[in-house]
Amino acid sequence: MTRIVVDPITRIEGHLRIEATVENGVITDAYSAGTMVRGFEIILRGRDPRDAWAFVERACGVCTTVHALASVRSVEDALAIQVPKNAELIRNLMFCTQLVQDHVVHFYHLHALDWVDVVSALSADPAETSELAKSISRWPKTSKHYFADVQNRLKTFVQSGQLGIFKNGYWGHPQYKLPPVANLLAVAHYLEALEWQKELVKIHAIFGGKNPHPNYLVGGVPCSININEVNAINNERLNHVGHLIKGAIEVVEQMYIPDLMAIASFYKDWAGIGGGLSNYLVYGDLPTTFYGDRDHYKFPSGAILNRNLNEIHEVDGKDDSQIKEYISRSWYRYQGGDDVGLHPWQGETEFNYTGPKPPYEHLDVDQKYSWLKTPRWNDHPMEVGPLARMLVAYGRGLEDVKEVVHEALGRLGVGVEALFSTLGRTAARGLETRLVVQWMKGFYDELVANIKAGDTSTFTQERWEPSSWPQECEGVGMSEAPRGALAHWIRIKDRKIDNYQLVVPTTWNASPRDPQGQLSAYESALIGTPVANLDQPLELLRTIHSFDPCLACAVH
Amino acid sequence: MNTLAAPNYKRIYVWEMPVRLFHWVNALCITVLIVTGYLIGHPLTLFRSPEAYQQYWFGTVRFIHFAFAYLFLFNFLMRLYWSFVGNRFANWRTFLPLKKVQRHDLMDVLTVDILQIKEKGKISLGHNMLAGLSYFCLFLVGIFQILTGFGLYAAMSKSWFAGLFAWVVPLFGSDGVTRVWHHGAMWFFIVFIVVHIYIVFYHDYVEGRGTASSIVGGWKFEREDRIKPDSF
Amino acid sequence: MTNASIWQIMAQKGYSRRDFLQFCTYAAALSGLDYAAYGQVVESMEKKPRPPVVWLHFQECTCCSESFLRASHPIVADVVLDTLSLDYSQTLQAASGFQAEACLHETIRDFPGEYVLLVEGSVPMKDGGIYCTVAGQSAEDILKESAKHAAAVVAWGSCASNGCIQAARPNPTNATPIHKILHGPVINVPGCPPIADVMTSVVTHLLVFGRVPDLDRKGRPREFYSRRVHDTCYRRPYFDAGLFVENWDDENARKGYCLYKMGCRGPVTYNACGVTKWNEGTSFPIQSGHGCIGCSEDGFWDNGPFYQHLANFPGFGIEATADKVGLIAGSATVAGVAAHAVLTNIRKRRVIDETQHESADMPREV
Ligand code: HEM
Ligand code: HEM
Ligand code: NFV
Ligand code: SF4
Ligand code: SF4
Ligand code: F3S
Ligand SMILES: [Mg+2]
Repeated sequence: MTRIVVDPITRIEGHLRIEATVENGVITDAYSAGTMVRGFEIILRGRDPRDAWAFVERACGVCTTVHALASVRSVEDALAIQVPKNAELIRNLMFCTQLVQDHVVHFYHLHALDWVDVVSALSADPAETSELAKSISRWPKTSKHYFADVQNRLKTFVQSGQLGIFKNGYWGHPQYKLPPVANLLAVAHYLEALEWQKELVKIHAIFGGKNPHPNYLVGGVPCSININEVNAINNERLNHVGHLIKGAIEVVEQMYIPDLMAIASFYKDWAGIGGGLSNYLVYGDLPTTFYGDRDHYKFPSGAILNRNLNEIHEVDGKDDSQIKEYISRSWYRYQGGDDVGLHPWQGETEFNYTGPKPPYEHLDVDQKYSWLKTPRWNDHPMEVGPLARMLVAYGRGLEDVKEVVHEALGRLGVGVEALFSTLGRTAARGLETRLVVQWMKGFYDELVANIKAGDTSTFTQERWEPSSWPQECEGVGMSEAPRGALAHWIRIKDRKIDNYQLVVPTTWNASPRDPQGQLSAYESALIGTPVANLDQPLELLRTIHSFDPCLACAVH
Repeated sequence: MNTLAAPNYKRIYVWEMPVRLFHWVNALCITVLIVTGYLIGHPLTLFRSPEAYQQYWFGTVRFIHFAFAYLFLFNFLMRLYWSFVGNRFANWRTFLPLKKVQRHDLMDVLTVDILQIKEKGKISLGHNMLAGLSYFCLFLVGIFQILTGFGLYAAMSKSWFAGLFAWVVPLFGSDGVTRVWHHGAMWFFIVFIVVHIYIVFYHDYVEGRGTASSIVGGWKFEREDRIKPDSF
Repeated sequence: MTNASIWQIMAQKGYSRRDFLQFCTYAAALSGLDYAAYGQVVESMEKKPRPPVVWLHFQECTCCSESFLRASHPIVADVVLDTLSLDYSQTLQAASGFQAEACLHETIRDFPGEYVLLVEGSVPMKDGGIYCTVAGQSAEDILKESAKHAAAVVAWGSCASNGCIQAARPNPTNATPIHKILHGPVINVPGCPPIADVMTSVVTHLLVFGRVPDLDRKGRPREFYSRRVHDTCYRRPYFDAGLFVENWDDENARKGYCLYKMGCRGPVTYNACGVTKWNEGTSFPIQSGHGCIGCSEDGFWDNGPFYQHLANFPGFGIEATADKVGLIAGSATVAGVAAHAVLTNIRKRRVIDETQHESADMPREV
């Protein structure tokens, strides 16, 4: 029995530490700890609720905008504001932009090196790589010269002796299964995706002025529409958005999905590893009418227990018995004792560090051991994220979702149960990206049609002035961030924030155990994950990365 | 039919020309800086034209603010100089309660004029000690406005002069904070003006020595028996 | 020599010697060197391997890293593969755990005085560093250890250069910008985040010109932070004309008038947004209809609320602007003066009468 510590976990957002017990080459126990905190919920007290989006958006620059969206929704919910149709559509477009860009970056730049051996790409035959590339998609850059150039560049790089970001990787680890040609193809696409991801986010710049951290507005969106004005969202701006969406569909359909399928086909054993929890939670998002109309979302909400896709439970963020946060193993203190669970409207945030004094070797995992709180749905630990979304939509019988899921499973020759795994998580991320780029095109067309029909409104004035607000009110803003179910709960009193609580996807997944000792998603998924070489815990990274951790989000 | 013998009043030249000039230029500058400053902080909604090139009113407001800012500064420097070379009523010592008699006077003014718990007290020829102190505060806040104002202006101006104040903003942390303070200090001037004008007329009314007109012509009137050689 | 110089890399990429010399001339001209120094630039680039760079993460949102990835000229792949050697970057590097930490320590050990230290995030100085640790070490220790032998230190974004959001009131972790912790000079590149091409430009400036760019008194490169957003804002003519957006999405908003009255902080914010713009020149906040929130200014989070021109007056609570405080003081003064005037006519009656009796008795008619 050996205790391994991986800190820092890299190729994620934020400061994550994993301590795991390995017995006979398999993880038997695991502890996931977030080691950085900033105190957003404390800082937000007493501020203008209309400013909150800008604060919380800074919870994370990787999933930038999702917190802003949840925030404006929470304030609008509290003040009973419904935003105009155009604002809803523009928010959807920004949402889709973020999700697609984030997933592509995760796949190529954060996750790929778990599956792709960069060094092995040096020995690939460019001509064969070209053949492989042509066989899996009609992506244009597939000549053997192109791959030869990439390979040469890589060679120069490696020969320089300065390996930079590739230094000390687990190259040559027996768990790398791709043939050299596939590795070279992946390296080429690593570079292409890196160059492309900065294009798509221009949609954020168009509607929100910049990316990362575009601007939002309580009551609508800040950009006005005027097709006869150069200073507003006009036809040129819309064309730009349309063009970028077209490009995204190409990248996802011709590069991301084919690569994902090609790589997955070499790692089918990972369809049996890393399943972890069997409960899944989705708040739902992408309203097709308006936010309050929760029955008409592209991503339907729901909860699944025990992998039972035939029964989808309803989720209600306002029901104070459903969602609660625990801190018995987190470095916080509750007025009513550390074992109670609090619904976020009653949530409390007070630091109470009891861990070792830095520098330290080990955390005392029998005590409190993380800056993440532990959220529970009806006291069940839940996994959130792309897999949860695909499962709930699948369970709800959404046709377009079922179609892409079946197609992918068919191509890999595996059944639905393969989804409950590390590989399933990674695949689900790709599948939803496929759907989202298509939906995005739909939202875009709808926006243009709406403007054509003469509706250019982007903002609701009614409740802008604090004098029009009630003395006290509370709201919840729910969303589906790339990493899963995200919601912000706000209480407004005397026109300022009285309490603001964020419960974030990675908080669900990466949290420490609850007072009953139940494990959250990361810890649970790690149990049973093999680790062949204790000094090179590549497999551990695979399972953790399949969740796409974001710790700044999780702790805030 | 007044049977009491009227006491003899003497005309005293208190406020020399440079002091009077300073006074009115200063009053004008401050008034203009308050009005334009307030407008900079709270622009009016004027829709004279939908085309930017046809108007420049906000630019003009700012221009006036900056032009009067320079005037305000140089006028102030002139007065500073005069406080060393002018007559004793203009001397810098009259603004600070340095001497015991001055501190006495301060208490006197407070009890007689402000709180009115004493009926009569000493009467000053120049400004009384409390007035002097209030002017001193005005000068201090004036310097504060000059520092913060030119500090802010340094970034928008190519002039070497404004550049001399570039160190101010980092002291406040940022332009934003500097501006809030610059704006806030405006209210000191508003309060000062209200009190100052009232007090001038109060003295004129209660004492009947021509206090108000003295800042125009320079003369005050005083009973001979009250004039002492060392009065300030 | 195992490490390729910039010349070698250019040669391998198919550039001729002539291209290279031209590049050096250009580099020298841009950095304001005179001809005598020109030889040195050529020499240093011929010899230098890709300069090692380490990138630390503390209290941050990784958005500065994300912004860096959005660079368009040069694109980030070129920076990371050809221009420099990014030896430690938790966001991108392949290695994790102790292998990752080894990357950091080896660079510090093998390239003392040569590596460039880039820092993203602030450092929590409260309670012995418990609010941010990496591999069990506190942010403060890591920073100090890494900075000791760095050739230059760059503070990315508002977090590292002014503390940013976590330093906003009440700053629960005592988040501190790195220039307050380190003794040597720090290049501050504020912004939440900074513009991508500004970031790559600052780094390449260091590496290509071999010198720190001109800095202002806050340690910010003049190249990008010497102008207020307001000074380069294309809506400035509307400001000068006094044409303002009065409400969100009103007629004026749809015409793109000035956002001053909606709280725009452009007049008090130093940044290149109006010129360099964001995302390959696609837009910047004001162009897309939202005012600047001042994201590159010290303490901008506490300089709100964002939607009113004048920030709240510190210490007077929410909704207390300088004007509200002033108005109360002003009203109190007027009331005091009025009361005093009434009182005077009562309490000073006798003195006033006496003074009036002093006046010479004049005949009613002349
Ligand atoms: C009695 C003295 C002064 C008063 C009462 C005054 C008042 C004001 C006020 C209320 C503002 C608007 C601030 C805001 O809300 O943003 C302002 C702005 C300003 N003032 Fe003054 N000010 C005075 C003297 C000066 C001086 C001496 C200067 C020196 C140049 C100056 C330069 C400025 C500048 C540069 C601005 C910002 C204008 C802009 O950026 O559009 N002020 N002032
Ligand atoms: C913006 C408005 C004004 C400001 C800022 C202002 C400021 C000042 C200052 C700084 C002094 C001291 C002069 C010195 O010793 O150098 C002064 C004195 C004086 N001011 Fe004003 N003043 C204003 C308006 C007026 C008005 C409207 C009157 C009367 C009609 C007035 C009457 C006087 C008189 C009589 C003195 C001499 C004070 C004394 O005897 O103590 N002022 N004022
Ligand atoms: N966890 C998380 Fe986020 C996401 N997706 C957001 O809510 O990454 Ni930074
Ligand atoms: S400066 Fe802003 S963008 Fe950069 S890490 Fe800090 S919060 Fe994120
Ligand atoms: S929009 Fe902002 S930065 Fe632009 S001119 Fe107006 S106030 Fe200045
Ligand atoms: S908010 Fe920041 S991005 Fe630029 S326009 Fe203002 S400095
Ligand atoms: Mg929380």
